[in-house]
Amino acid sequence: MNNILLQLQDLHKTFQIGKISYHILKGVNLTVEKGEFLAVMGPSGGGKSTLLNILGLLDKPSAGLYLFEGKEVSSLIMRDLAKIRNEKIGFIFQAFHLIPWATAEENVLLPLLYRGKIERDDVERAKVLLERLGLGKHVNFKPSELSGGQQQRVAIARALINNPTLLLADEPTGNLDSQSSKEVMDILEELNKEGLTIIMVTHDPEIAKRAGKVKILRDGVFVD
Amino acid sequence: MNILILKLLLGGIFHKKLRLILSILGIIIGVSALFVMNTFGEAAKIKTLQEIETFGPEILIVVSGQARVRAGRALQAEQTTTLKLEDAQALRKLSAIRFISPLYTGSAIIRYHGRNLSTVVQGVNEDYLKIRKFSLYSGRNLLKEEIMGFKKVVILGHKVKRELFGDEVADGKVIHVNKLPFTVVGVLSPVGVDASNQDQDDQILIPISTAMSALFNVDYLSAIYLSVASPTLVPLVEKQVDEILLRRHKISPKDRDFNLIKAEDILKFKTEASTLFSSLVQSISILCLLVGSLGVTAIMLLSVNERRKEIGLRLALGAEKKMILKQFLIESVCISFLGGLIGFLLGFLAILIFLPLLKYPLVLPLKTILVSTGLTVLFGLLSGIYPAYKASKIDPAILLKGL
Repeated sequence: MNNILLQLQDLHKTFQIGKISYHILKGVNLTVEKGEFLAVMGPSGGGKSTLLNILGLLDKPSAGLYLFEGKEVSSLIMRDLAKIRNEKIGFIFQAFHLIPWATAEENVLLPLLYRGKIERDDVERAKVLLERLGLGKHVNFKPSELSGGQQQRVAIARALINNPTLLLADEPTGNLDSQSSKEVMDILEELNKEGLTIIMVTHDPEIAKRAGKVKILRDGVFVD
Repeated sequence: MNILILKLLLGGIFHKKLRLILSILGIIIGVSALFVMNTFGEAAKIKTLQEIETFGPEILIVVSGQARVRAGRALQAEQTTTLKLEDAQALRKLSAIRFISPLYTGSAIIRYHGRNLSTVVQGVNEDYLKIRKFSLYSGRNLLKEEIMGFKKVVILGHKVKRELFGDEVADGKVIHVNKLPFTVVGVLSPVGVDASNQDQDDQILIPISTAMSALFNVDYLSAIYLSVASPTLVPLVEKQVDEILLRRHKISPKDRDFNLIKAEDILKFKTEASTLFSSLVQSISILCLLVGSLGVTAIMLLSVNERRKEIGLRLALGAEKKMILKQFLIESVCISFLGGLIGFLLGFLAILIFLPLLKYPLVLPLKTILVSTGLTVLFGLLSGIYPAYKASKIDPAILLKGL
């Protein structure tokens, strides 16, 4: 039991747009163990993004339980959720979402802004991370001066700067060519081997294969 | 590492520089206008006070005709020939009067060694210099005997002396005033433009007797200058002079053919005019500042909309909504403040150039600086409230919608 990182129990999510309500998640059950690498696949509109938003504490479920490290989190107040996001969860996105006016290094340090302080050690750590991801020479480059693959690696470094327990990846290779995709997946695999729990949403079966476990979300529920 | 935090928090301000400049243009104009106008107002006030000082609060002028004071100047509405030398003699009997000088003003061409120039000729008596507190650069004052004896002697204004004689000594030389020879007996020290806006260096002083007879052939005066023993006696003397002249001219107060002007009047009209002007300009500047801050609001809204992903990202990385709110408020204040700073520098540059050019004293009104700084910060805060609120309402879930 101690090995379980997070658990979803009969999770529902309904969106109200005008007078019509959309029932996106219809009773999702999921258990993710520490060190797992899970890929979530499924057709568009199947609820993958909604699920990732809830897992990343960016959105709250309409009904059901979400236990993160054994604690019910869906009822926490915004400030506590922000703290968990900052300390425990790393995000990488299809569109990278780097800040255009900041350098690679500054982008990596951004999460620390919301922890309160940035020490000299942190800057060193950011440099080491970028180096490890093959960007040692690009520390002071702006995102516009980097290729897609390099940008995504900066984003990965940013996700790792706070040593998260969970990495959430939304189509991490969606905007990349096959060579860069492979590089990014190699990195994720390596991180997973070091013990990082990864949940990745993807359309691409080739990419999904790299994960240890694949689940398919269709019409708001997991199907086997 | 604080610089890094600052940069990560506020670096977005400088991302789009052209837009930043456009958004603060209104603030720049507002602040520089506010600053320049206030400084000018302040300088003008000090200048007026300085001028009044040369004029003296104890001076009273009887101006012939229906003179009015308009925009700080004593204007003679029509030529009146009723103010006579005898009036001046009658007024001399008042005990509160220390000095009195009749005055006839005309203009003449003066010539020395082939150099011609047109200047103002003031026929006065020996008291005039004491009334106006003019000091002599060289030579001596007019003598009582010269006034009585219709002598052709002249005191030159500083500028006139310089233009006619250059560095040459003028005293004792003979110049021609409208072809009549006059002996120079003295030169005035530089005075500058006085409260009646006349350049006191561009004039010559001659005995009133000579002016009225030989030079202009008139039997009336333009004005009588009085110096009262003490400024507190001015209202009393004013009343006495009024009564005497009305009686002597045998007219009722509504037909008054002379006007009494004191330094205070000039000061009052000048400050009234400048207060009206500066309050007008101030309200326009504040309006400009207001419009400018609306510009900042518009640009901030645009910026928030454009940076939705950045905001979503910051939220995903652990920012609280409160921090986003604060970030955009600070951004807005910084932008306005930047505008204010540039506006201030431009305004400062402008006064450094224009104040000396207009011969105004150089002043730096601290109050204005503080007020305009406070206003820009306030307007920055106000203009940031709505955009910051919008920013804090952004849903971080937008990040996962692909692009």
